[in-house]
Amino acid sequence: MYKFYVSVLLSFLIYDTSSAQNSLPNTKIKSLQGDDVMFSSFGNTHDTAVIISFWATWCIPCIQELNTIHDQYEDRQKETPFRFIAISIDDARTMQKVKPFVAGKGWPYEIYLDVNSDLKRALNIIDVPHILIIKNGKIVYQHNGYVNGNEEELFEKLKSL
Amino acid sequence: MRFILPALLVSLVGYAQKDIGHFSGSFDMYSQYYMKDEKTGAVLPQDKIGSNNFLKLDYSYKKFTAGIQFEAYLPSIAGYPYAINDAKLINKYIRYDQEKFSLIVGDFYEQFGSGLIFRSWENRPIGINNAIQGANFRLTPLKFLDLKVIYGRQRKELDYASSNIRGVDANIDFSKIATDNARIKVMGGVSVVSRYQLYTGPDPAFPATVNAISTRMDVSGGSTSLSLEYVNKGKDPHEANGYDHTSGEAFLSNLSYTKNNFGATLSLRALENMDYRAEREDMQSTGLMNYLPALTRQHDYLTTNIYVYNAQAMGEIGGQLDMFFNAPKGSGIGGKFGSQFSLNFSHYRGHDDADKLFSTGDTKYFHDLNFEWKKKWSEKWTTVLLYQNLFYNKLVIEGEPLPDVKTNTVVVNTIYKYAKKKAFRFELQHLATKEDRGNWAAAFTEFTFAPKWSFYMSDLCNYGKTDTHYYNVGGSYTQGGTRFGLSYGRQRAGLFCVGGVCRYVPAATGFTATLTTTFN
Repeated sequence: MYKFYVSVLLSFLIYDTSSAQNSLPNTKIKSLQGDDVMFSSFGNTHDTAVIISFWATWCIPCIQELNTIHDQYEDRQKETPFRFIAISIDDARTMQKVKPFVAGKGWPYEIYLDVNSDLKRALNIIDVPHILIIKNGKIVYQHNGYVNGNEEELFEKLKSL
Repeated sequence: MRFILPALLVSLVGYAQKDIGHFSGSFDMYSQYYMKDEKTGAVLPQDKIGSNNFLKLDYSYKKFTAGIQFEAYLPSIAGYPYAINDAKLINKYIRYDQEKFSLIVGDFYEQFGSGLIFRSWENRPIGINNAIQGANFRLTPLKFLDLKVIYGRQRKELDYASSNIRGVDANIDFSKIATDNARIKVMGGVSVVSRYQLYTGPDPAFPATVNAISTRMDVSGGSTSLSLEYVNKGKDPHEANGYDHTSGEAFLSNLSYTKNNFGATLSLRALENMDYRAEREDMQSTGLMNYLPALTRQHDYLTTNIYVYNAQAMGEIGGQLDMFFNAPKGSGIGGKFGSQFSLNFSHYRGHDDADKLFSTGDTKYFHDLNFEWKKKWSEKWTTVLLYQNLFYNKLVIEGEPLPDVKTNTVVVNTIYKYAKKKAFRFELQHLATKEDRGNWAAAFTEFTFAPKWSFYMSDLCNYGKTDTHYYNVGGSYTQGGTRFGLSYGRQRAGLFCVGGVCRYVPAATGFTATLTTTFN
């Protein structure tokens, strides 16, 4: 009996190693359709880098960053394929504007909502814009703020991964 | 015995791949050195220095996370809602997060629905942190049902309120009951929140417990979505509502439409006696339990941050309309590089004499109409043009017995990318009004050198009446997740988007130094 329970416990350890390499928080964010997504799931993309940009509809430099990357999107995807996720920290004051706002910009990105800043806090982000590159469950690059030309450093890092 | 050895070996292989946990954290410092200012008549704090410092550390191991937040106010900056000169390890928590279940013990943040009934959150620049210390349990027992249960006491400055708060929230996704991929999505929700604070006064019928209940519904499908929320708060006599014994109500609705390059959203909200606090004696921004933001456009220019609306929790009715249009590259209106247009309109009034939730009274509180046109002329040039027409009831919003203010403001913002990693931004702004302090004009210029440096200079001048110049000069250095900024000048309060980030700043004259760093 004792041997059985010990081996069950040991196998539980093995079972749990599936998430061992992923150091991303398990915080939930919402898709524009209202579905919950666990942030750590973005780490399971096996070798394709994921770029995460934190933004808000009231943040001018955030919009500049997302517009600039949009202009270069197709060319950059050809150089090094990546997945681009834009997470809005708009709270209840401006959250309902996100979907129409994005339509009015024509962005091709996956958009998510972090309504009470749970993910922003879990990732220890202070101001927006803040951009991260995640590869195989680990944050390999981050940069706070956006000024024209920052995307050069971002994509240079992406190419080097 | 034979069974144990191979099992051990297999688990050891797993163990070798296992991580030892992950540390992450951040440090956030905002310090000021104040200088005497006769022009604005600002009262110089005794210490001449203000410094808000936040250190947050988190350790996560598999599905467990534990963290602490250490705050030091040495003393707190001018313009902060409360004056403190202290340092404390104030937030600590341990949590377990899984797909269908999570438990937090310690200090946590939470929101029910849109926050109209309950929201605990942190906004450091404006001094809000009403985290709850207790337990937060979230469960998804069925694939279409999400439950939240919370219990605890609310944070108050560097201590805790002497009341306790309980809450339950249920969210049902009706479209998931039958199928996983419904074309029309319907969600419903109910929340109940209760606050108990000991009452030792003479009135035997005084409500020591204040309960609030809310119901909400969200319907979305194709291009349209509609959300509705209604809150009813029981008898809640307290300081901020003048010990009014009537119940409170709130209604919020939002309708959105998105198709191709066009998006629109219309919000309508009515509030009546919705001030809800952790303690009866709390005033201003202390002890707030719910979130009643001004549902108006959030502005980030110097002149558009002068007349800003505050939601009137005691009684208000109104709404906001936003329309966004993208004229793509190559289209007639879009031109070679594309163009974007947005229109925003909001209007708020008081209730009639009977204070009925859906009544409109004679007193207008606020309106603003904003039109913005953004155009990229070439690879190097982009311009943004903003026009704002505004009505501001100074008596209702600021409590000053002064006439209503009507303004017309124009902002021209030009960005010139003269080299691959360099840019120059220039803004000219003008606010015209016959009331209050008369006209204002502003000029702003910023030079940026990606990815590390930026410098700016600005001046906002009230040439209409006081001739006060709100001049400001500064710069910032950024390396990865770390940013250091330094500025000097006379600053008005408001949202400031400069040096590549957006931050709300309080009013001050002198030097300001900021340091933020994130390590993951």
